[in-house]
Amino acid sequence: MSLKQKLQLYKKQLHEAQQAERSTPEKNDGSESVVAAEERLAVCHAARELDATLRQWKDQYVLVHSETLPLTSQTGLYPFSELFEAVAAWQQGPDAHPLSAHGLKATDLLFFDTETTGLSSGAGQMIFLIGLARVTSGGVELRQYFLPGPGHETAFYDAFLRDTQSLKNLVTFNGKAYDWPRVKTRHQFVREHVPRLPQFGHFDLLHAARRLWKRRLDSVGLQKIEQTILKMGRSEDVPGKMAPFLYFQFLKNPQASLVKGILEHNREDVLTLIILYCHLSFKILGLATPDTEESFEIARWFDQIKAKNYAQPLFERLAAAGSDYSVEAKAYLARYAKQKGNFDQALSLLREVIRSGSANDSHYIQAAKLLEHQFKNNRQALLYTQQAIALMNHWQGKSERFSTAKLNAYRERLNRLDTKLLNNRN
Amino acid sequence: MEARQSMDDLINKLKQDPNLANWQTLPGKEAQLVPYPEQMDQRLQAALRKRGITSLYSHQAKAFQTAMSGNDLVLVTPTASGKTLCYNLPVLQSILDDPSSRALYFFPTKALAQDQKSEMTELIGDIGVAIKSDTYDGDTAGNIRQKIRAAGQIIMTNPDMLHSSILPHHTKWVSLFENLKFVVIDELHVYKGVFGSHVANVIRRLKRICAYYGSSPQFICTSATIANPQSHAEQLTGRKMILLDQNGAPAVCKHFAFYNPPVVNKQLNLRADELPVVTDLAGRFIRNGIQTIVFARSRLKVELLVSHLQKINSGLNERAKICAYRGGYLPTERRRIEKGLRSGEVIGVVSTNALELGVDIGQLQVCIMAGYPGNMASVWQQAGRAGRRAQDALIILVASANPLDQYMAAHPDYFFSGNPEDIRINPNNLMIMMDHIKCSAYELPFKKGDLFGQEPVDDFCTFLQDEDVLHEQRGQWYWMNDAFPANEISLRSAVQDSFAIIDITDRGHARVIGEMDRFGAMTMLYEDAIYIHQGLQFHVDELDLKERKAYIRKVNVNYYTDSDLAVQLDVLEEDQTKPLPGSAQADTGYGDVMVRALPTVFKKIRFETYENIGWGRIHLPEIEMHTNAAWISFPKTLIDHFGKDVFQNALIGFSHVLRHAAPLFVLTDPADLSVVAKIKAPHNQLPTIFIYDKYPGGIGLSQKLFETMPELLRRAEDIIASCSCDAGCPSCIGFVQEGRKAKKALTEMFLQL
Repeated sequence: MSLKQKLQLYKKQLHEAQQAERSTPEKNDGSESVVAAEERLAVCHAARELDATLRQWKDQYVLVHSETLPLTSQTGLYPFSELFEAVAAWQQGPDAHPLSAHGLKATDLLFFDTETTGLSSGAGQMIFLIGLARVTSGGVELRQYFLPGPGHETAFYDAFLRDTQSLKNLVTFNGKAYDWPRVKTRHQFVREHVPRLPQFGHFDLLHAARRLWKRRLDSVGLQKIEQTILKMGRSEDVPGKMAPFLYFQFLKNPQASLVKGILEHNREDVLTLIILYCHLSFKILGLATPDTEESFEIARWFDQIKAKNYAQPLFERLAAAGSDYSVEAKAYLARYAKQKGNFDQALSLLREVIRSGSANDSHYIQAAKLLEHQFKNNRQALLYTQQAIALMNHWQGKSERFSTAKLNAYRERLNRLDTKLLNNRN
Repeated sequence: MEARQSMDDLINKLKQDPNLANWQTLPGKEAQLVPYPEQMDQRLQAALRKRGITSLYSHQAKAFQTAMSGNDLVLVTPTASGKTLCYNLPVLQSILDDPSSRALYFFPTKALAQDQKSEMTELIGDIGVAIKSDTYDGDTAGNIRQKIRAAGQIIMTNPDMLHSSILPHHTKWVSLFENLKFVVIDELHVYKGVFGSHVANVIRRLKRICAYYGSSPQFICTSATIANPQSHAEQLTGRKMILLDQNGAPAVCKHFAFYNPPVVNKQLNLRADELPVVTDLAGRFIRNGIQTIVFARSRLKVELLVSHLQKINSGLNERAKICAYRGGYLPTERRRIEKGLRSGEVIGVVSTNALELGVDIGQLQVCIMAGYPGNMASVWQQAGRAGRRAQDALIILVASANPLDQYMAAHPDYFFSGNPEDIRINPNNLMIMMDHIKCSAYELPFKKGDLFGQEPVDDFCTFLQDEDVLHEQRGQWYWMNDAFPANEISLRSAVQDSFAIIDITDRGHARVIGEMDRFGAMTMLYEDAIYIHQGLQFHVDELDLKERKAYIRKVNVNYYTDSDLAVQLDVLEEDQTKPLPGSAQADTGYGDVMVRALPTVFKKIRFETYENIGWGRIHLPEIEMHTNAAWISFPKTLIDHFGKDVFQNALIGFSHVLRHAAPLFVLTDPADLSVVAKIKAPHNQLPTIFIYDKYPGGIGLSQKLFETMPELLRRAEDIIASCSCDAGCPSCIGFVQEGRKAKKALTEMFLQL
């Protein structure tokens, strides 16, 4: 039996198997194969409608859309010109901070976002749209590279890489885990013909947004942030997950209208990154007043990057204000006081924490350590250790905070204190 | 306390046993040693010397030379013959020559890869050159994966990992694919049937990617004894292979005993269960301090045997232990048992067939098989576990009531004549190939006119284009879909839509205890069926067709259920037909068939008496499957000659025998093959028995059976003739109505065939 006959015979079974594996039943009826010349004509036409020029590499081409937006234009909280303020503010700010633009100019920052044919990270998913923006004194220079078909990737990456010599200061939303690995994967396929990938450095705004707002947002997505934090609104947006299917349709029938929405979506994403970077910088640097939750998270972040001098004033303000975070802030301040040798202050802060009724086991233990080693008050230390153990016992089987290792360590401490007390008595 | 008996005493006693069906002594053989090949790197030679290896077995040297002169090769090696050096030496040599060289090993299981890694690490340690060798599988930590991808020189993995992780992410493995010199495929015989057909396609994908990065690795394969190692390796890898089957390892003298448990029910020709017999035999050796390994066919049997043997052993020697040793154990647990065996702390091991694979548990004096393992390759692998140094080895095969076991017990000449089975795969199975063309297109676009293996891809790609999976542009097909195809394709499950079997006995602690293909589910897991899993009875509460789940509950009843399946079998195309040689009576054929099965009713049958104690309806839709079948047709005149009822039952009995005889010729999982008898086949109106592959598109089993039909029939005849029952029993034609007449009719039919 010939293969054609067999395929016919098994068509139903094969088709069912394909259906079972497919995630979407999108179907296009205008699926005619387009010969190269016609295809080029159609793509040229689409390019005109998308306000893009064709750039050629041998017989391949890429659609490039460029525009310059005035610095004064404003869609959310700030005009784009605020980026100069943000970058200027970082020059005096904490340079160890992951978002710090210390030593950089505003024009060094390259705001970057891509659209792909699927979410998985394997070799078969392509990037079909790259959007880039840079803020210069003349305005926001925005550029989009659109792949008119899978056979044009060399032209696509050639144009993108020639135009952007440095990728050291990319600003992305989840770019480290998402966009950049995909760029690397696809670059493998064309690496012989296009410039090498330059070194990549980046500011990932997803990471920052998650720190500040994960408690108030059920999902920390760019659009959610736009709506709730940046007070921006999009009128008619193409949902990101629809992008692959619209693109697949475009490939079969290159109508600009199919992908116009995707380009607009990508354009807005890139512009939002500018505003988001400004907003995050201002919050972190205290130029926009953070609320207590933001303050606490910013302070914790400073604490983690060992910028205590930035963290401490924030914790102090939180401790004084009697806010939701004052107890936690006091615990941090107690640690700082202990490190400086201010044991009295450290102990009194910890006692405040304990009196508040929301102390956890480590607060008790910190207090116990101070009492045992600095104040030689073993009796009080023993009491606090017992309370830490009681908390642990209470959590056992109920809470993730329970830890056998900790419990054992606390018991050991208890035994030691017991022995000390006994010896003293004798 | 009775005095300890020596191995000789025990052997002599066994020889007197009335249930002994046969005794064979296979002489031992000296090692054939040769010096290190001259071109072998001095550092490698020094490392071997350090390990006490001062010369090589002849096959190791031959393998080294064959590989170093650029050939692809397949080695057939028995257990414990130093096979790892056969591929490790050329691989290490090539890396010592050029450190940028890479090698990819794949093993059927993670456990085997782990074992090999530690062996390799020791050898590399003795060479004293930093060669990076590592396993890459589901257990590999994320932070070292990147390091392995960039710098690993020897990567040990499994085909599933290659399929779903390495190949679809080949751009992260550039240095491996650019410099790949060797692909080592160990345990070649495991890649059979559906699994093997999938793996052959994974290798096609691997070769495409290598070609893309400009490498063309050599393949080194090793296999247990099978009938067609060379053609199997060639089909799996798509390369011409050099076969090395002369083994230079030494072998000890082996005593091979066939033990047939006595008939306990003359009427039904039922034999004593093999487990108590095995327990008794193993106990004789273990009690006398003789290390023994027992192979059983299921995990449940392993557990039962261990607990029986531990009882026997208790109090006799506190220190010597009996261990179970089966798949799923962690490497550390296995190391502990291996160490115990070497030190004598462990005196008995009970293992499943799974561990006949190349895991090194050392060698023992006695090997007992609880039942014929199903194929000769397994027999010799298991037997290879017995035979320590200069001492004689004893292997005892305890036959079960299964027709094959009884056949072997009655025909030791056949058993010892060395007739290993063929391994069949069908890499061009349409369903399987389509799956992998998808995966391959995801990895690299196809050009018009490209070949996948030897097959042109154009028709496949056009089909996938119509399905909106690929997009064609300028003569190339590109993946244009948001899915990740490898995730949806499993190399191991027989059919994509398999059913989960969920035990809900313990409410709140439901657990999946197995899976079954759709066909099996509809014939064994219908509602109110009694499903037997590892010897335990379960009642099927619900079969959820949409969610593909069967909910079962543990019960203890005195009956089993048997479904009546209305099987329609239409021959779509007769590829070959020929009269059965030497017979004017029967015709044989092979071709494409459509199987339609409709479960109708089920019967409840009491265990001891086989009486029908009730029935129920099955409410399930019809199942459809296109596949390949071999068939044999008989003249209509036989119907009148024997009477319709008798003849029909004779055909059913015939099917039973054929089903059990087929594994003599092809290495197959029981689930892969089905036999159905029709008194009037739709395509030729003749009484016909069909043997078909139970996988859409076929996997080559029935094709092989068509080719060997005369021999298959001869074995079937032998099975019936050598069975002493009158009216059919599990060891021959099974229980059919009018069994006495049916059996007689069959005997008469065979005389005329």
